[in-house]
Amino acid sequence: MTVQSATLVVPPGIAIAAPTAEVLPPVKVRRGLFGFIYRYPTIAFGGALLIVMLLIAILAPYLGTVDPTALAPAKRTRSPSADFWFGTDMFGRDIYSRVVYGTRVSLTVGLSVAVLASLSGLIVGLISGFVRWTDGIIMRIMDGMMSIPPILLAITLMALTRASVGNVITAITIAEFPRVARLVRGVVLTLREQPYVDAAVAAGTRAPTILLRHILPNTLAPMTVQATYICASAMIVEAILSFIGAGTPPTTPSWGNIMAEGRALWQVKPFIVFFPAVFLSITVLAVNLLGDGLRDMLDPRMAKRL
Amino acid sequence: MLAHIVRRIMATIPVMAIVALFVFSLLYIAPGDPAAVIAGDQASPEDVEKIRKGLGLDRPFLVRFGEWSWQLVHGDLGTSMFTGLPVTTLIAQRLEPTLSLMIVTLLLSVTIAVPMGVIAAWRAGTWIDRGLMAFAVLGFSVPVFVVGYVLAYVFALELDWLPVQGYTPLSRGFVPWLENLVLPAVALGCVYSALIARITRASMLEVLQQDYIRTARSKGMGQRGILFVHALKNAAIPIVTVIGIGVALLIGGAVVTESVFAIPGLGRLTVDAILRRDYPVIQGIVLLFSFVYVLVNLVIDVLYTLLDPRIRY
Amino acid sequence: MHRRTFLKTLASTGSLAAVGAFPAPAISQGAAAKALRFVPQANLANFDPIWGTQYVVRNASVMVWDTLYGLNDKLEPQRQMVEGEEVSSDGLTWTFKLRPGLKFHDGEPVLAKDVVTSLTRWTSRDSMGLMLKALQKELVAVDDRTVKWVLSAPYPKMLFALGKVGTPMAFIMPERIAKTDPFQQITEYIGSGPMKFARAEWVPGAKAVFEKFADYQPRSEPANWLSGGKTMLVDRIEWVIMPDPATAAAALQNGEIDWWETPIPDLVPVLKKNKNIQVDIADPLGNIGSFRLNHMHPPFNNVKVRRAVQMALSQEDYMRAVVGDDTSLWKSIPGFFTPGTPLYSEEGGEPLKGKRDIEGAKKLLAEAGYSGQPVTCLVAQDQPPLKAMGEVTADLLKKIGMTVDFVATDWGTVGQRRASKSPPGQGGWGMFHTWHAGADCVNPAPYIAIRATGEKAWFGWPDSPAVEKEVAAWFAAKDLAEEKTVIARLNKAAMEDVVYVPTGFYYGFQAWRSNVSGVVKGPIPFFWGVTKA
Repeated sequence: MTVQSATLVVPPGIAIAAPTAEVLPPVKVRRGLFGFIYRYPTIAFGGALLIVMLLIAILAPYLGTVDPTALAPAKRTRSPSADFWFGTDMFGRDIYSRVVYGTRVSLTVGLSVAVLASLSGLIVGLISGFVRWTDGIIMRIMDGMMSIPPILLAITLMALTRASVGNVITAITIAEFPRVARLVRGVVLTLREQPYVDAAVAAGTRAPTILLRHILPNTLAPMTVQATYICASAMIVEAILSFIGAGTPPTTPSWGNIMAEGRALWQVKPFIVFFPAVFLSITVLAVNLLGDGLRDMLDPRMAKRL
Repeated sequence: MLAHIVRRIMATIPVMAIVALFVFSLLYIAPGDPAAVIAGDQASPEDVEKIRKGLGLDRPFLVRFGEWSWQLVHGDLGTSMFTGLPVTTLIAQRLEPTLSLMIVTLLLSVTIAVPMGVIAAWRAGTWIDRGLMAFAVLGFSVPVFVVGYVLAYVFALELDWLPVQGYTPLSRGFVPWLENLVLPAVALGCVYSALIARITRASMLEVLQQDYIRTARSKGMGQRGILFVHALKNAAIPIVTVIGIGVALLIGGAVVTESVFAIPGLGRLTVDAILRRDYPVIQGIVLLFSFVYVLVNLVIDVLYTLLDPRIRY
Repeated sequence: MHRRTFLKTLASTGSLAAVGAFPAPAISQGAAAKALRFVPQANLANFDPIWGTQYVVRNASVMVWDTLYGLNDKLEPQRQMVEGEEVSSDGLTWTFKLRPGLKFHDGEPVLAKDVVTSLTRWTSRDSMGLMLKALQKELVAVDDRTVKWVLSAPYPKMLFALGKVGTPMAFIMPERIAKTDPFQQITEYIGSGPMKFARAEWVPGAKAVFEKFADYQPRSEPANWLSGGKTMLVDRIEWVIMPDPATAAAALQNGEIDWWETPIPDLVPVLKKNKNIQVDIADPLGNIGSFRLNHMHPPFNNVKVRRAVQMALSQEDYMRAVVGDDTSLWKSIPGFFTPGTPLYSEEGGEPLKGKRDIEGAKKLLAEAGYSGQPVTCLVAQDQPPLKAMGEVTADLLKKIGMTVDFVATDWGTVGQRRASKSPPGQGGWGMFHTWHAGADCVNPAPYIAIRATGEKAWFGWPDSPAVEKEVAAWFAAKDLAEEKTVIARLNKAAMEDVVYVPTGFYYGFQAWRSNVSGVVKGPIPFFWGVTKA
């Protein structure tokens, strides 16, 4: 079957095939904010939740809260009501206020640990990977520290010092940074063999410059992803430490704290454990999603698939 | 290969030595006095001091460390300050419950999580995938003790299908043993399964992109065959790795789970010992856990050679 | 019961009995099921009641070891291992004759020399025992069943000391065990009490097992607290340690345990609603909470600062925090001695009565020259009553304008730090919380917390000659009427000097399954006469 085209003169005996239907629809690349959400739903969702939590933490005094440490033993363990949106705990303190203020503590712990562990792990990993003769010793020490289960390490460290937010952060950081160090060291070792690094060395670039300009930027992506997981893990570890009784002091409300105090009563007054558990789970979920999304975004091989 | 294994074992010795020194030093500088706890509330300061001397707590660091290391090399983990029993006895008494919990959790989690990850990878991008992974992330995000309490409430108190707490030794029957372990294993396994499912999915996805999979598919191989014969075997290494790393997570999680479900295991022993400053017990257990962790990773390294013939040491 | 059929129907594999790869003692299912399963107040980590004076150790020890005398519910010492006693007319020589047929768990008879060695060990650790030791001229075994104790001055409270409930109790052990240094642990747990300790089944921190001693000879009188015939009606008692109260409550409801020593008050309503569970007050002698001040260093070395706290402190707040909303469980106590006992007095207790005076406290603080020195509060987080009291204290001190240095730590650390006489900024302390069992506060004899001998006193080192004068007067008192007058004066002096501030008097509950009978109220869970259907 021949088709007459407007401009084409078709010699006899040659058939031009009919235009086939589009097999693949054209990819509509959406731009702007909605485009971003469409392409990276996990980052969007996780990020949005995290921002909400941050806002709650920052704006805590303005969100209809009262002093979270104000005791009123005469009003203890009241169920949620109009006066006390989340009820009261064993000392008569308003749980809603404690949970809202607890956001500050948990986020502080999570973010601080993530930042501190990343920084210290980065430094140790860079040194270990780049300065060959330190590698063996440092990695043995890191192995040693990693082989002690992190919860046990944190409990021991907390039992050595007094309960305070600062000490909780220190304890969890010490437990987490070896993993970052290992990660960074692995990246450095791979990169060290790259030709461009060799070239830089041959050109006489000094070590710190090589580190900063060539190696460091390549560690940032996996480190950022790892940092988000550390943040999530730190928040859970804080909750567990408080559960055991070795976490933040009771005068500072944190979600782990509130749950630990309410754990004995969960059968009769489940709301004491319920609300902080929900907040904790949502926040950790958000951070994990963010981490997943970042990993998908930063790793080009994965990005193709969604 | 054998030489490599031996070398690996030798390499663990300095690691263990570092752990030992670290733990011992930590406890040495710790405040908190076991003598005071032992003496009880009504004791006078002189009594407390006499008890300290009786326990040998007033000797210098090197002497105590040297003595402990010497005992260690002879397989003697020392004697608990509070109970007067050898640490090895205390650990042996508590080994079975914790080991049982960990094994059941491991089996349960792997059985659930690996298929979950495989299905998620197979149906990548669809709602099944997103749903399963959301489930997995949730497993990560809810604290173990909350899951434990909810499970105990629903399945033990309300439905009365399983016991609330406790541990029945295997010698009293397989079914009672398992009954006591189901709820704790599920609670503990949530986190572990989540981790395994995610890594399984990620590594399966990676493998499924490979050319040889496309070749197999174009040759007409069935889906199941592809998944299990080719893909899973090749994806196994990261999965097995994370199972090994996850053991540390299990050990840590066991502490909480044993507390909630009143299982007389090593986790609770450790927490009790830490809170009481029973130094020999703390040192013994931390060393033991480290050793187990190192051993598990060694086993995994050996498993690598079985899984991937290209890896030869 | 319909439970546990779920897995059974699923698992048709049946039981793999005796897989025995692990060394577990072979207990027949029958014996285990008939055992009385008890959840104690704390972990039984060690088992030497003279060396380790915790209440839980004593509670277990009363089953395994016997005493020469035992208190009844009127706090009167009654003969237990002793058949008869004689006091010389000058009050200096005591002669005790043992009952015939008393045996230790290893089959050996109880001899006077065992008593002598046991008492020697006990007198080195106990406060009343130390007083006896100071007066002791001779303590010997006259023959196999007779003990003679010669003192240099009369000690009218001798029988009370030998039969008292306060730790350490005067337990009688075999001579070879009692020879152990009082500052070291015994390693064998052989006694002559109605139950044997199953050492092989002991898992410290998890489980302790006691088995009936077939050769025990109970007295013929009915059992009454520590006196009378201790007849055991169960063959086996298992102590199951459960640190998590929610788990213990659930286990009691499910029938997995039979008797819980210390259910927390908030869970009691749920337990009371359960048809299969009985709940009642555990110890009619209750407990007295304590706000222990450090008299040695600022700010509490100034009596006005102490009084400021005293006038602002609300015992109601503390008690509600510790025990909950049930007002039958606690009372305010404007005194230092156990309510409901003969020597209870409210003399001088006005500062703790009535409406709390925050403004007055602030004024008094200003008068005392308080200028913001931080009060280091040692608060143990692992003991629920102490944790609760600590939070109320932080709030109280802030309300009256004091600076709080809140040290949230565990009981072990508190135990260590409170022994320190350094100033608060250098590792010392300002206050800590504790509680005293009512049995220890019935009179000055076991009551180390009321003594005010300055540097030699209990932690806090209160120094009050007025209080000590009355204590001496009490020891010399000849009858109850005189004791009461003395104690009233003592109470007043202790209040004025603020030896410590009692935070209230409270009861605890105990709970048991309905198929268990014979549970009585008392300072110790008494296992004799208890049976399980």
